[in-house]
Amino acid sequence: MKSLYEHRFNSVAAVETEFAQAQYIASRQIATSVYLAFNLQKPILVEGPAGVGKTELAKTMAEVLEVPLIRMQCYEGLDESKALYEWKYGKQLLYTQLLKDKLGELMEGAKGLAQSIERLHSHDDLFFSEHFLEPRPLYKALHEEAGCVLLIDEIDKSDQEFEAFLLEVLSDFQVSVPELGTIKATVRPFVFLTSNNTREMSDALKRRCLHLYIPFPDAKLERRILETRVPGLSKSLRNELVAFIQNVRTLELKKQPSVSETIDWAKVLLLLNAEHLNVDMVRDTLNTFLKFEEDIAAADERLVNFVGKAREEGALLHARNP
Amino acid sequence: MQETLEDFFKALRGSDLDVTLTDSIEAGRAIEIVGLADREVLKHALGATLAKSMDERLIFDACFDRFFSFDAFKERPAGGGDGVNTTPFAMEGSGSGAGSGGSGGQRLVDMLMRQDQAGLAKAMKEAARQVGMTDIWFFTQKGLYIQKIQKQMGSEQLDRDLAQLAAQPGQSAQVAALKLARRRLFEEVKDFVEKQLAMYGTAPTKRLHDEYLQAQKLSNIEQRDFQRMHDIVRKIAKRLSVIHSKKKKQEDRGVLDFRKTLRRNVAFDGVMFETYWKTKVIDRPKVIAICDVSGSVRAYAKFLLLFLYSLSELLSKIRSFAFTNTLVDVTATFDGMPVQQAVDKVMKDVGGSGTDYGQMFMDLQAQLMKEIDKKTTVLILGDARNNNGDPQTEVMKLLHQRAKRVIWLNPEPRVFWGLGDSEMKRYLPYCHLAKECNTVKHLERTMDDLLRVSTATA
Repeated sequence: MKSLYEHRFNSVAAVETEFAQAQYIASRQIATSVYLAFNLQKPILVEGPAGVGKTELAKTMAEVLEVPLIRMQCYEGLDESKALYEWKYGKQLLYTQLLKDKLGELMEGAKGLAQSIERLHSHDDLFFSEHFLEPRPLYKALHEEAGCVLLIDEIDKSDQEFEAFLLEVLSDFQVSVPELGTIKATVRPFVFLTSNNTREMSDALKRRCLHLYIPFPDAKLERRILETRVPGLSKSLRNELVAFIQNVRTLELKKQPSVSETIDWAKVLLLLNAEHLNVDMVRDTLNTFLKFEEDIAAADERLVNFVGKAREEGALLHARNP
Repeated sequence: MQETLEDFFKALRGSDLDVTLTDSIEAGRAIEIVGLADREVLKHALGATLAKSMDERLIFDACFDRFFSFDAFKERPAGGGDGVNTTPFAMEGSGSGAGSGGSGGQRLVDMLMRQDQAGLAKAMKEAARQVGMTDIWFFTQKGLYIQKIQKQMGSEQLDRDLAQLAAQPGQSAQVAALKLARRRLFEEVKDFVEKQLAMYGTAPTKRLHDEYLQAQKLSNIEQRDFQRMHDIVRKIAKRLSVIHSKKKKQEDRGVLDFRKTLRRNVAFDGVMFETYWKTKVIDRPKVIAICDVSGSVRAYAKFLLLFLYSLSELLSKIRSFAFTNTLVDVTATFDGMPVQQAVDKVMKDVGGSGTDYGQMFMDLQAQLMKEIDKKTTVLILGDARNNNGDPQTEVMKLLHQRAKRVIWLNPEPRVFWGLGDSEMKRYLPYCHLAKECNTVKHLERTMDDLLRVSTATA
């Protein structure tokens, strides 16, 4: 397998095309950040509302670079032993019991305590070797020979202590395991950190990363995304659907429909064999992209208006570009 | 390019966006990688390296557009911003076309006469750089910089030429045109300087104002600065909370406690059936804050309440009380209302005249004493002016014995303590900490102390 950085992007545009081939439509901003991060070998901190493709971006990057994706989901209470490594205590205990006899043999003929301990010393590291080590995502990422894409998901959910621990990993791509010494990455992983902004990240962490904010896509981009993701959808319906969603996003909602929801809805409409939006159909399928009762009620109020607008806009687009 | 970039960083700093040294190096490398060909790509690349959050990104975008749009504006042909006047010399200051090859290389008059807009624009920018335009801070410096730039561009020579021309007969049309041109030049330079001030001067002046507010006695701060003060206090509170507050978490499974595990498993011949983990229990400080809102501290009361409000945002286990003569629990008011409203409500409901510390302490003994234990910090804000009533020092003594800490913040300077009807000297022995506190700086320091101790001993 080829190493991560043997891959070459020639320009920002090249990133866009390669991502498009992997079915990810990247905006100019996303492509620039990826291109930069790749060349600077720096992590990217991705922020944005849920469902705009933050995690998908990392997956696509792994696909484009043809390296594995290692994902670490953060949560409150996540610590080193779950992120980096843990000793297999059970195995260690079991082995000491099983090997009791062997230990006896080993000690045979040893004179005095000092000599026994001397003999033991020549074996002691056995129990703290990689055989007894349970590797966790970060450890795996550092050990991946061809490099990998490391996705640290929802970093804002982790504790501050963990964030501090990440600093060492992210700046030098090495960690110290007291029993084994320092482990350094063979090939620097390409790191994505995602955040939903429930907590402010520390300055030190931010400084080590490039910052990328992915907003909801504009209509043009969203149409392109739908075109690649739901290819069976007719052009007229696609235009109307995107126009409708864009209108819904102007409402004050608890949870705005994001790209993933647009895609879901498009798939549903495809199954229903729809050719154009109509009020009843939209009303019946509102719950595919709105997840709260209040939101559905709010959208329902404006439904007729929005569908009308969407159809108008669809017709307009069609007239301009049949 | 380097100079332009440095000016851009300066402009960013002027917009309150911190650009550190590493950031600027990163930005330089980013430019090397993406090149300068595509404006949008350049903007995204610089944005990704220099802005660290969504807010900063917005600031960055605005600043980028403003900073790099300067050229575009200047190169717009006549009839744009200066549309009203369409005489041949209408567009002196704004330029386009071939460069003049340096400010000193060409006389200002020639450029004006030839309407060499690019030359003029370039001359103006170079002059601006030479006089250190980016150091502008205050609007009062505007006139100075306008003069400096014009002089640097050669306005003195222009005046001389004009005088010469005026002396010759039959040149009145020329003279009038040139005079007009000079005025246009002035307008352009003025416009330019104003823009630069907006770009470079905003943050420093704001910072200066903040510093002024922080060092001012609270009683001298005017009502219109209340909102600003709240921002400052909240900023301080936020910073302190980042330093001191731990996330709410009861227990945290840590590493294996080997010693304890071994000891517990001795009974099993050393086979570790039961494992013990080191755990951290975070104990959050309990604070009872009492604020005097009576007439004698009227000038301070608002800000003490502001401080109290910020504290209640910061510490979860805080109970806030206010009093003039009887103790009133205002915790609910603080929790449920925005700051301005809450403070006004407390002032209206509780404020008045006739301070009675004695009654307050009696109330405290009756209502609160049983809740005060070794974990509680009691914070009293007030001037201890008791209108010669019974000070009830006994209660204070008891408080001192029971509570972990008793902190008294007094807005009066230390020399006034104990003078007149101030009972401060009598309360003083029963305070773990008593401090003069009448500026935001004092507040910050005390707040820091308070939090440090409460987390350190937790």
